[in-house]
Amino acid sequence: MDRELLLEIGMEEIPASWLPGLTTQLGTVLEAKLKELRLSTEDPIETFSTPRRLTVRSAHISERQTDLEELVTGPPVSAAFGPDGALTPAGAGFVKKQNATEDQIERVKTPKGEYIGVRKHQRGKAAVDVLPEVLNNVLRGMSFPKSMRWDAMLGDGKGELPFGRPIRWILYLYGGRVVPFTIGRSPLAAGPRVQEISTGASTYGHRFLTTSGRAGRAVKVKHFDDYRKRLAEHFVMIDRNERHDRIARELDAEARRRGGRIARSLVGQGMLDEVPDLVEYPVVASGSFADEFLRLPEEVLTTTMIHHQHFFPVTNDQGKLLPVFLAVLNMEPDQPDVVSRNMERVLTARLRDAQFFYQSDRQQPLAANQKRLDTVLFHKKIGTYLQKSDRVAERAAQIAADVLKAPQAEAFAREAGQLCKADQATDMVRELTELQGTMGGIYAREDGRPEEVWKAIYFHYLPVGVEATAPPTKDQLGKAAITWASVSLADKLDTVISMFGAGERPTGSRDPYGLRRAAQGIVRILVDLPELTGLDLRLTLGDLVTEKPEDAFWSFMIDRVRFVLEQRGYDPRNVRAVTHGDAAQVSPLVAKRKLETLPEFTESGDFKQLAGLFKRVRNIAKNLDASAPDLGGKLTEPAEVALAKEVDRVAPVVAAAVASGAGYRQAFAEAAKAGPAVAKFFDDVMVMTDDAKLRDARLRLLRRLEGLILQLADVSEIVPEEK
Amino acid sequence: MTFQDLILKLQHYWASQGCLIQQPLDVEVGAGTSHPETLLRVLGSTPWNVAYIQPSRRPDDGRFGQNPNRLFKHHQLQVILKPSPDEVQQIYLDSLEAVGINPRQHDIRFEEDNWESPTLGAWGIGWQVMLDGTEITQFTYFQQVGGMDLSPISCEITYGVERIAMFLQKVDNVFEMEWGGGKKYGDVRLREEVEQSKYAFNQDTGIDPERYSSFHRHMFDENYKFGEELLKAGLILPALEQCLKCSHLFNLLDSSGSVGVTERMAYILRVRQLALAICKAYVEQGSGIGDQGSGERA
Repeated sequence: MDRELLLEIGMEEIPASWLPGLTTQLGTVLEAKLKELRLSTEDPIETFSTPRRLTVRSAHISERQTDLEELVTGPPVSAAFGPDGALTPAGAGFVKKQNATEDQIERVKTPKGEYIGVRKHQRGKAAVDVLPEVLNNVLRGMSFPKSMRWDAMLGDGKGELPFGRPIRWILYLYGGRVVPFTIGRSPLAAGPRVQEISTGASTYGHRFLTTSGRAGRAVKVKHFDDYRKRLAEHFVMIDRNERHDRIARELDAEARRRGGRIARSLVGQGMLDEVPDLVEYPVVASGSFADEFLRLPEEVLTTTMIHHQHFFPVTNDQGKLLPVFLAVLNMEPDQPDVVSRNMERVLTARLRDAQFFYQSDRQQPLAANQKRLDTVLFHKKIGTYLQKSDRVAERAAQIAADVLKAPQAEAFAREAGQLCKADQATDMVRELTELQGTMGGIYAREDGRPEEVWKAIYFHYLPVGVEATAPPTKDQLGKAAITWASVSLADKLDTVISMFGAGERPTGSRDPYGLRRAAQGIVRILVDLPELTGLDLRLTLGDLVTEKPEDAFWSFMIDRVRFVLEQRGYDPRNVRAVTHGDAAQVSPLVAKRKLETLPEFTESGDFKQLAGLFKRVRNIAKNLDASAPDLGGKLTEPAEVALAKEVDRVAPVVAAAVASGAGYRQAFAEAAKAGPAVAKFFDDVMVMTDDAKLRDARLRLLRRLEGLILQLADVSEIVPEEK
Repeated sequence: MTFQDLILKLQHYWASQGCLIQQPLDVEVGAGTSHPETLLRVLGSTPWNVAYIQPSRRPDDGRFGQNPNRLFKHHQLQVILKPSPDEVQQIYLDSLEAVGINPRQHDIRFEEDNWESPTLGAWGIGWQVMLDGTEITQFTYFQQVGGMDLSPISCEITYGVERIAMFLQKVDNVFEMEWGGGKKYGDVRLREEVEQSKYAFNQDTGIDPERYSSFHRHMFDENYKFGEELLKAGLILPALEQCLKCSHLFNLLDSSGSVGVTERMAYILRVRQLALAICKAYVEQGSGIGDQGSGERA
């Protein structure tokens, strides 16, 4: 009979950002470990979590392992038996080692020859006897963004058990009975205050809240439904969705009660997603602050509330901030007002600090901070932020004028580029680093600089800001669209190119300077350039780069182009096909446009035929010495004449698409039609004939075909996988 | 509860939990972690439970006594529990009750906040403890100190005493908080904050910046050299004091704007080098020097 398995790992507070990932991971790891140990689960595994526990439950786990049937192979038959047909010492040794008898020997045919083997049948063990090992493997199998050592040991011979946070208890029930398992402690730590952790039938409620008994004491449970119910009685909601919905509902209600609503556009989804993982029992509270702080820039207020206090700002119906905040507590305090007053006091202190920084920054214009950048190091081999600003200014001006062909924006781009890092030296950004860029933009605006400049500064980190990862919208950018693109591209390019120059290349998981993110930012701007700026420019990576970087730079960049396109859901094979060749010549925007239509064709028979033969086309076409004169040979065979006609037919369509940057659908459709002609050509025509003239003509035909198709994509990358 | 009562209550509580009550290190430091009762005691395997107040100097945080929350010098109450007991979070929460913070009436959270000190080759995993939105304690399971893995793991609990006293007294300005006997924190410390801030930033002092810089550089070099000599002589604790003096001198050079960017990194690396060598020597000396050694348990 199948029985329920319930595991709860009780831990000290788990970081909120880890919780969703760890919850899923526990389910996956348990499922894998059960499978490895041949215990079957029929129902999907369910997972739950709070900051103090990771829980997993399977309603039905088989009572026994499935039996194991395996064929153990030994030495080759030739070595196992002597000429007389009797077992050699090698053969006998194998039989003995397997605890078998000679009559159990089977002959096993393998590609390497015939071997002897013994069939072994192992009866499955009772689940209760295997489940301790399952838990051992689950604990070993969990991985954390950062692990800690906590003097814990497992008895599996592998020693210490690092974990995300110390484990305080383990509830482990199978069919209502405790499965025994113990985590040991290192001998240097073990003692009366540092003890083994043994599995039990108890969970623990909320640290401070309880309806009966002492808060935080052990609560015995029998099975999952009981577990869930008992925890609810002890103020623990184990279902994250339930917590999330309750929070959203209560926030809305409390905001209404306060005469406004949650400023969702300011909060973003981030905080609503995080808060449920900070609490076991959410309760919404609210407070207010003095009206005078509303004179601070809105970004300063919301950053202080959101990033520093996890408070939700509230706006009126017109979207103006009210002097009110909401907070999600992990507590139902006896006197909620006391908690609100305390929170108000902290927020006020922070806002007063911000006000102080703001006033001190405003003693002078933003540009005056510029010279202090001389003491802020960008990289020791590259120089200071002041030097970086100078480079960004020149590059931004050059991009605006030469690359984006917008000479009217050149001076604005230079001005914005020069000032874009100045806020690094302001008191506000030194305290609230999340506001970098934003603060510079605000100060530039207050200094009376034009929209083209201040907005370019404001948004220049995007689309890869500290937290925000979306580019600004065209509406937000207003008149600053082109200067923003110039400065944002210039800043990121400067970072990547100068860091490469200093030998700081990302390797493996190490990318301390965020060069991959910076490069992805460049690619994303190029891909979305028309939507973001209204400029229909199909820029290549080479268009942007005035210097001559080393090969490593280009292969790094093309990887980032592919990464961004794959992130958008395009098939990796198609992505490779449209980003082939010289990286400097690749236009991310053109690649994206091709990818939008390419999947319509990749499944068609004609296209597959073309794709399948294209590698051959390329290989043979290599035989043509491109610098040699055309020998003027004539194509005569029907198949080659037909192919030449196809090439003539397709060429103008491809040329038109390439020239206009549109019409790739038609170009792919026409190119695909050439598939059968290519196939027929290879069936009927022998390219490398002895007739030099004819050979030359055929190679030229293939070379033309190759060049034509490559303008669209290297379709040989898209060969169907079933081969 | 006054500032001094709070300190007395916490010390009393930790004494009742089996901690020795030690005294502050009489050398300028930025945090209680630099005290040998933490920095060296967490190395090696000898169990050690200790609590002490540590006045902590952060030149960069000086605000001339004008900011209600920031101080050149604040007080940490530092607790080291080695090995870290299973119930350490509860023991900590009980300490809050002992000073009159009833967890039933507040929102107390353990929020992820790891700690790292590159100069000490040290890092740990832990939380900041939030009380109704105010950070009142840093809670860290030390993982490495002096670049060496620790075993057993120690737990460091660092209370921000001013913060907690302000919370308990419901005052918004640290200088208005009562120290004891009707005297305010400002009565006791305001003048020191003003003068130390002027000194730290070399502001309104009339002292030539060149002179300021060369004096501190010279002191740094002298302390550093002598620290190395003491270390060579096997005198770990005196060497550590010289190293900590260097660290503080560097902080002053930094806050007064006397070091450029590349130089800054070089100073940090030098302090780190000496600190690592001291920790290493401490471990290598082992139990040879009685109760100051790392004494492998028999």
